[in-house]
This record gives sequence, structure tokens and C-alpha cells, in this order.
Amino acid sequence: MLFNSLEFFIFLPIVFIAYWYIFNKKIRAQNMFLLVASYVFYGLWDWRFLFLILASTIVDFFTGQIIHSSDVTKKRKAWLWVSVLFNVGLLGFFKYYNFFVDSWIDFVSVLGYDIKSTWTLQIILPVGISFYTFQTMSYSLDIYYKRLTPTKDFISFATFVSFFPQLVAGPIERASNLLSQITTKRVFDYVQCTDGLKLILWGLFKKIVIADALAPIVDDIFANYGSYPASTLILGVSLFSFQVYGDFSGYSDIAIGTAKLFGIELMSNFKFPVFSRNVAEYWQRWHVSLSTWFRHYVYIPLGGSRVSKLKSVRNIIIIFLVSGFWHGANWTFIAWGAFHALIYIPIFLMGRNRMYMNNVVAENRWFPTITEILQILVTFSLVTFSRVFFRSQSITDAFGFLEQICTNFTYEAYEHPLGYRMIDYFLLLGAFVLYEYRIRRDERAPFKFKSKIVRFIAYTLVILGMLLFFDDQIDRSFIYFQF
Amino acid sequence: MKKLFLKSGLYILLILIVLEAIIRVFHLGKDTPTRFLDEYKVEKWVPNQNGFSVTGNRRQNFSEFHINNSGFNSYREFTPTHDQTEIALVGDSFIEGFHQDYYNSIGKKIENNVPGIEVYEYGYAGYDFADQLHLIHSYKKQFDLIDHVILGIKFSNDLTRSEYKVVSGRLALDTPVNRLLKKSKLLVYCKSIGILDPPQELLYKIRKFIVSKQPEKQIDEKEALRIKDEKERKYLANFESLINKYGYDKNRFTLLLDSRITSPIFLSYLDQNDFKYIDFSNTFKESKRSTTLIYDRHWNNHGRTLIARAISNYLQHKDIRKSK
Repeated sequence: MLFNSLEFFIFLPIVFIAYWYIFNKKIRAQNMFLLVASYVFYGLWDWRFLFLILASTIVDFFTGQIIHSSDVTKKRKAWLWVSVLFNVGLLGFFKYYNFFVDSWIDFVSVLGYDIKSTWTLQIILPVGISFYTFQTMSYSLDIYYKRLTPTKDFISFATFVSFFPQLVAGPIERASNLLSQITTKRVFDYVQCTDGLKLILWGLFKKIVIADALAPIVDDIFANYGSYPASTLILGVSLFSFQVYGDFSGYSDIAIGTAKLFGIELMSNFKFPVFSRNVAEYWQRWHVSLSTWFRHYVYIPLGGSRVSKLKSVRNIIIIFLVSGFWHGANWTFIAWGAFHALIYIPIFLMGRNRMYMNNVVAENRWFPTITEILQILVTFSLVTFSRVFFRSQSITDAFGFLEQICTNFTYEAYEHPLGYRMIDYFLLLGAFVLYEYRIRRDERAPFKFKSKIVRFIAYTLVILGMLLFFDDQIDRSFIYFQF
Repeated sequence: MKKLFLKSGLYILLILIVLEAIIRVFHLGKDTPTRFLDEYKVEKWVPNQNGFSVTGNRRQNFSEFHINNSGFNSYREFTPTHDQTEIALVGDSFIEGFHQDYYNSIGKKIENNVPGIEVYEYGYAGYDFADQLHLIHSYKKQFDLIDHVILGIKFSNDLTRSEYKVVSGRLALDTPVNRLLKKSKLLVYCKSIGILDPPQELLYKIRKFIVSKQPEKQIDEKEALRIKDEKERKYLANFESLINKYGYDKNRFTLLLDSRITSPIFLSYLDQNDFKYIDFSNTFKESKRSTTLIYDRHWNNHGRTLIARAISNYLQHKDIRKSK
């Protein structure tokens, strides 16, 4: 069930009303109902994969209990490995098995051996597996590191693993935030609900108007890169930057908004990364829940930045490579991660990686300075350059794309594949960036206007935008579902 | 909770009202003229209606229509005489041309190409060959005065009937409920951009789920060919049946078709039986520019110009004009 589907808009009010009117008496009833709703939500995609979620839930629930109850380090470690191996094993089989087999075949063919593989399997990637396996793993890891006391309530834990607003594409929550809310009775809060609805509306706008409207252009340019000049290819990859941002941050906004309707606060996942002044700031603002996960469970255990510079650089490289590989079983994602490591390391070595942690561009001003504008443009260009790898089907395509930019460095006006006016999209993006700039201080309050009339106008314009750019012919699924 | 529902309801209502107003002010939704059945049971538009036809979310195609006294979209009135040279174009939405300004129609283009003639466009969305011949038959007196009649025909969907019957499905679009719904430009707009398709699809899915049918049989290539052949023979039989029933003047009537999408059986039948036809396939094939609209499969201005040129060349070749 997609957030932008009719099914969801029937499902959500039913679950909302039942939750607050029927199952609001006891916390157990609330959780039981949320669990059933979440399993229905996921099962409508493919009910067979519910067993995977259930298996992951059972394994981590019991390993968590055992790790907590034991004082013997070896035993605790052994059970932690059970959890990690099980979850990574699920991921490895469903997401990476064919990649490893194919890569092995490619490798031996380079050495001169030609093997016809019969090992590759027809495997469907279960939606959301990368997200919920990381979430359940974090539970066992937190217990192991003694940051968390495990719950004894299986229903609460199962609800934490499968909570439908963030089940398929995050934000990847830590038990300390989400589970603690699930084990506490929720009370209806009008302000929280309206904030949730506003976030849902803004998320839908980003998805329908920004991401979906740009998709046909980006698809066309990447599919036919060989026949386009550099100007078009640069346009294509720049628009892809906006598309993927609109798509994923739109999804996250809907997820956070939906969770609010049920009295639960999820962590922020996007904090206007478009306005980042360097790549380090970009990673503090883009897919925050994943970055935080890697920082807590990989980077810091490896020593983080408290070790020698050389080891810290090694840790950064590991983090970015693993993060790239998490996105997909393709060398393109590893190259994407490697490129980010490459542009992050100089900032780290100059000690500028934490300088924008607690402020936004033009913090107490209306307009950014010239320096800030230049910084934003450079960061956007670097990140957009890396998107060539992120979006291409293969490494060959990615280099082909870049080669075409260099060898055919000319300008030609681009025509929309369906013949639409391109100016509409440029005006739309301009308005979108300006509005995001206006609300850049608070990613959780997209319609923060004092005047009710102005707020009403904003709602109307957002809905009008959805009508003007709605396209019933395109694939409406979210990009990050494939990860 | 009550407050949430009340306020949300109020906001939704106000937003709908404002959107309705915006769509009206910027004319984003199309106007739909009223249809009716005349005394001969010919379906047409209620005379003397004006409006604008809109295609695309952002008004990408915008054109004006004018329904004349005869109930068809045209800039002229249809008043054939013995002295004048008149040409009738009979056909479906491609001839009707709601996606073009009525004063820049195919008929107007032909008149510009061939001075001294009047072109009457009897186009109506959904007209098949049965509708066309029934119209000519019903208005025999008028059509007898017209010097030449060109009938647009698409073999694959214009010959499914062997005799004329009123198409109730089309007229149902003008039931009181539908007319009332069409008063909301927002609703018309949402329908035209496909936003209302998902609810319809969902209903279809539910119905399909409840009334589970036997799985459809897979047919092999041989069987598919046999079905195709059978269908084509049936269409040919329908053509014969229609011209026998309503009459067809081979001297005055000419078919307008695209041979690329017409069955060779039908083409050879026309050749063998001396039916005249204008084949515009080559003109379209050779065109370097697109001949159809972007958001719609109908002919664009270039396509209409090519069609008008093909018809004009044909008429000039036949020297259809009366000498005064």
C-alpha cells in the first residue's frame, strides 16, 4: 500500500478512527490494534514476507532478553552475533545474494575463466527489509551496550518493529525513541494531529508535484544519455537531485505525519539538505536516521574520531562504503559512497565537519551571504555529480554518462519527452526552493504562518499544485522502496 | 477529536470552493455541450452552444467550439443549395474537432485551399459508420443538395454494427445527475486529468474480486489469427449491410481512411467494387512533424492541415466545383 494511493486514504481514516474511538482504553489494545493494522498494511503488498518480519521480531525479542539477563560477556556477545547474523543474513540473502554471485562470475572471467552460473536465483526483494532489519538490530545492539532495558511485552516490541508509517522506508528508529513511546499509553492531542496532517499534505506535495513530475524527464535523459548534449545531461542529473529529495523526504514527511496522528513522534529524516554549506552538513541533513544509525553502530564502535587521524579516515571510508552498499546491490552505489568519502575526508581533515551542526544558512538573517550562496552551490554540485552513480543502472552507464558530458560539451534546449512546457518545471522548482528556504529553520512545521488566511492560501496552493502536476500515467512508487 | 473533524471538514469545504473558483477563473476545466436525440433519432448537440474545450492539467490545449443550428461544431450554418458547391465531412471526434478552434477546422482549411466551395462538418464524437449513414439517410433532402460527401472511417472500430441503433451509453452522459455533476468545473477537471480513475479502478477490482470469473483461456497464434479473420469478415459484412440499408451513392461519396490501420481485405473489397477513398497514410508517414496532439490522440493543427490538403487535392483532382 503506497502512501500516495487511494487504498491508503481509505485505510488511514479507518485505522485512525478505530484507534482513537475503539482501542483507546488500554495501551495493550492500542498496540495490538497498531500491530494488526501494520501487518495488514504490509500484507497487502505481499503477505508472504510478513513471516520475515515476524521472524526478525522473534529473534531480536528473545536475543534481547538473553543478552540483558546475562552477565557473561562471551555469552552476551554470542547472542548479539545471533541477532546481527540473522538480520544481516536476511539482508544478504534477499538483497545481496545475486550481486555476490554475479560479481564472483565477473571476477573469475577477468582471470580468464568462463563459468556459466546456475547459482543466481529469482529473488524478490521484500519491501522495507533494509529498514526494519536495521531497526531490530539496533534494539539488540542497544541492549548489548547497556543503553536500553529490553521490553517484556512481545506485542509492544512487534509493534515497534512493524509500525506501519515507517516500516517500509524509515525513518529508521532506535528503540530508545520509538519503543519507549509504544510502551506508554497515547492520549489524543489536537495540535499533534493537525501538525501530522500538515506534514502529510506537504509530503504529498513533494512526492506528487516535485518527484513524480520530474520523473519522466529524468528517466528519459538517463535512458538516452548517449544522444543528448552535456547541457541536457547536467539538467537531467540536477533534476534527479530534486526528484530523489522530493520522493524520499516526501515519504518521510508522510511517515512522520502519519505517526503523529497516532500520538507517536518519529525522528526527523531530512533537514533541508539542499541548503547545506559543505558535504559534512549535507550528511547531517540528508537521511538523518540512516546516518545516525551508522554513526552509532559502526563509526563510534570503530573508534570514530577519537582515534588517530589515519584510523578516523579509515572509519569514514568504511562508513561511506557500507552506506553506499546499503542502498543497493550494485557497484554504482559503492562508487557513490566512495565519492562521498572522498569529498568528506578533506572537510574532516580541515576540522570543518562539525561547524554547521547547530545552525542553518542565514541563521538570523533573511538572505544568505554571497559566500553562503557559493558554498551551497558547490555542495549541491558535488552531491549532484555523485547522483550520476546513484541513478545509473551500471558503472559502465555512469562513466558513459560522464564521458558524454565531457565529449559533447554543447548546449541544446531540452524538450520534455511528453511535449510539456519545460518552463512550468523551472518555475515550479524555483518556487519550491524559495519556499523551503523560507521554512528552513523547522522541518516539522511546513505551514507555520501566523495568519490563518495565509495558511489557508498555502494549503489551497499546495493542493492546486498537486492537481496541476498530477500524472495518472506514471509509476507512483517511492524510489527508496527498492532499497 | 470533534474539533479536528469539524475544522478539517470546514477547511476541505472552503478549499473545494476556492479550487472551483480558480478552475473557473483560469478556465482549466472543459465545457461540455448538451446532447440530444432529434426527431429522426439522430444524436447531436443542442444547437447554438458555445464553449471551450481544454486538454491537459495546465490547459495545454485550449480551443473554442461553436455548435451551429444543425447541432454540429462549425463556424458556418449548413444551408446547401443547387447553385453552390458544398462538401460534407461526416465522421467522429476527429472531424468534430473540439480540440481545435472552430474557425480553424479542417473544413475551413479546405475552403481556404479550394476557393468557391462550402464545407459542412457533420462530426460527432463516437459516430461510427452506422451513425454516419443513418444521419445521411435521415437528412436525405439536405444531403441530396450537397455535391460531395466524405466519410471518415476507421475499420477497426467503425464497423462493429450492422444497423443503426441509438447508443444509450452516450446519451446517459446527459442524465440529470450527470448534468448536475458537470456543473462543478472542479469535478469535470478532476475527471479529465485522471484523478478520479483510482476510485473507479478500486470499485472494478472489488467487483472482480467478489465475482471471481473463470481464468481467461490462453489463445495460440493460430487461434488469434482465426479470430482476427472472423472479425474482419464480420466488419465487411456490416459495411455491406449498412450501405444496403441506408444507401450509398458511389458517385458522390468518398471514404477517408488510413490504409496503415485498415484491413487489406477491406481495401481490396473497396478497390474491386469501385468505392472511392482518400488514403492519407502516406502524407502522415512522410510528415517530419508529429500529426497528433501531445495529450491526446487526435490530430493537431499540422495533422489537420495534412488531412485538409489530402481532401483538397482530391476535390481539385475531381474538379468538384460547379461552373456558374
